[in-house]
Amino acid sequence: MPPAAATPAELDALQAQLTQRLLESGEWDRIKFVLAAKLNDSGWTDDMRNRSKERARTIEPLSFNALLEEMLPPAQTSIPLAIRRDVIALIRGYIDQQIE
Amino acid sequence: MNGIQGCPHIAALVGLGDLASGPLRKFQEVVAWEARRAQQAKTVGATRKKVSIPFCSTCKVPLPRPFVCLHCSYAGCWRSGHVSEHLQESQHIFCADVTTGSIFCSDCKDFIYHARVDELYRAAVVTEEEKQTRFQVAKKPRERFQSWVPTAHDVVALENAATIPCQRRRGLLNLGQTCFMNVVLQSFIHNPLLRNYFLGDKHNNRSCKIEEDCTCCEMDKLFTEIFSDEPTAFGPVTFLVTTWRKSTELAGYQQQDAHEFFISTLNNIHSSSRGSTNISCNCIVHSTFAGQLQSDVVCERCGNETSTVDPMLDISLELRGKPGEVAAGENTLTTCLKRYTQREKLGSKQYSCSKCGKSGQQEASKRMSIRKLPPVLSFQFKRFEHKGDKSVSRKIDTRVRFPAILDMAPFTTHVVKNAEKENSNGSMSAYPGPITMYEYDLFAVINHEGQINNGHYTNYARYEDEWYRFDDDKVTAASLGSVLASPAYMCFYVKRHLDYKPYTTPSYVLKRENEVAREKEIEREKELSSIKELEDALLATV
Repeated sequence: MPPAAATPAELDALQAQLTQRLLESGEWDRIKFVLAAKLNDSGWTDDMRNRSKERARTIEPLSFNALLEEMLPPAQTSIPLAIRRDVIALIRGYIDQQIE
Repeated sequence: MNGIQGCPHIAALVGLGDLASGPLRKFQEVVAWEARRAQQAKTVGATRKKVSIPFCSTCKVPLPRPFVCLHCSYAGCWRSGHVSEHLQESQHIFCADVTTGSIFCSDCKDFIYHARVDELYRAAVVTEEEKQTRFQVAKKPRERFQSWVPTAHDVVALENAATIPCQRRRGLLNLGQTCFMNVVLQSFIHNPLLRNYFLGDKHNNRSCKIEEDCTCCEMDKLFTEIFSDEPTAFGPVTFLVTTWRKSTELAGYQQQDAHEFFISTLNNIHSSSRGSTNISCNCIVHSTFAGQLQSDVVCERCGNETSTVDPMLDISLELRGKPGEVAAGENTLTTCLKRYTQREKLGSKQYSCSKCGKSGQQEASKRMSIRKLPPVLSFQFKRFEHKGDKSVSRKIDTRVRFPAILDMAPFTTHVVKNAEKENSNGSMSAYPGPITMYEYDLFAVINHEGQINNGHYTNYARYEDEWYRFDDDKVTAASLGSVLASPAYMCFYVKRHLDYKPYTTPSYVLKRENEVAREKEIEREKELSSIKELEDALLATV
């Protein structure tokens, strides 16, 4: 476990190391797959696709960044709580395995 | 035009002749790299091997979603702006998101689209996927996809062809309670495999040998009408008449069931297809819709398992929320499929085990799964309850939620059996082959509103990325949201990427070749016998 008063730099380094391990072991892809499947099953993915597409018809001027800026906040807040909990649990489970 | 212009920079690059230009070749390489990495990530969990991953050239963090410069070896993060900074500083124009194949132009300051780039992306991804899949039965590799290249003959034919503008979205006139037919015809019109077959002139109604009531000819005529320059609604009169004659149970002016018409028409197209057979048919109907269902029955007593495989053209799903049932949550296509493929107990009267011997005494359980996925999946929600005599029915109106993208892997025989063994709970490492092999995209939905006897059918259908609502002759633009909220009776999905098995000559070609060979043989015999007659006559005079 990192010491209680870890500096931001130390936390960043730790996060980078964990990200690397997640990617190299394929665990990142497995967790991402579960997340994508749950989001699609709940209708969130289709809802976001629909809202983005319909918004893109009227947003002026149209650019990816303008659309992302508008759609990102509601995308993040509308993720069902249960899915958020489940995926965090998966990530936490992996991290617990990695750190003694 | 409506003021939307493409990116001139990518157009210039494509104009150079794509693969000669470094950036587009690099684009294909990085896209292929990502497809390989994704496949590796699926399987690497069990071993101690590591997948090689890129790091941001600016800040050195590992990249779950790399953006790659197409002009040099730079890879970086998008969100923190590192890759945009690189493009500015080194005056490089394009970078690509390897996960989706999207290209960003730093001059236009936006993600851009070009049809050629889209083609290159799909070609690179499909090529990688082909390498990653082997057929379970034959262990042979997939047939490699090849783009169509026109022959000299084709080029001449194309040069002499006249192009016409066509709306491609035509309404169909209601000929008197025929909305049940119109919605199914629209689902055929927007079915890419059926469309390509008939537009590819595979069954030409003018040269067809069948004298009358040929449903294939009716389909050919229908596609000709839809893809003509006539924008007003079309009345499929001859289609209706042919249907009445071939399927007498559907004749008459009362409202019929769209699903019945659907199945009936598929059978009529099959039987009027040249070279169609009763077993392993590869006519257009079977090539498009035919899958296989596997039913595994396990004797609870001795564990003996028997499997049967049956052909299927579509899947009919039971709904929850019937009167008398405890409503347990939402009805979704996924939950319906889960119920369809779950293990269920058979009544002791229904089963007798060949191994245990004692008949009708044991308990057994049965499980359905999909052994072979067809290119087009059709689902019907069983909304109409028939109680004995056909006239006494009831409609189940519960809403069903269905997705625009459907992953069928969890319902395939292979994954279902795996899940039972390891209890692996939907892990993607159980999927043999790349995930896209199991992905389907929704392209048509048939809706039914009202009661059985005075209801109305309408449908939604998609062309490329746009959805339209069809209400007989009235066609309007629609949003994905309205499609997914509609009261669905039938849904049609098409496989994201087609996978081809090793090439075999189609039965209709073989049949034609046999006919030609036989005709030649008859000619030869005629010739030989007339020569012999001549010789005999000559000998007689001697």
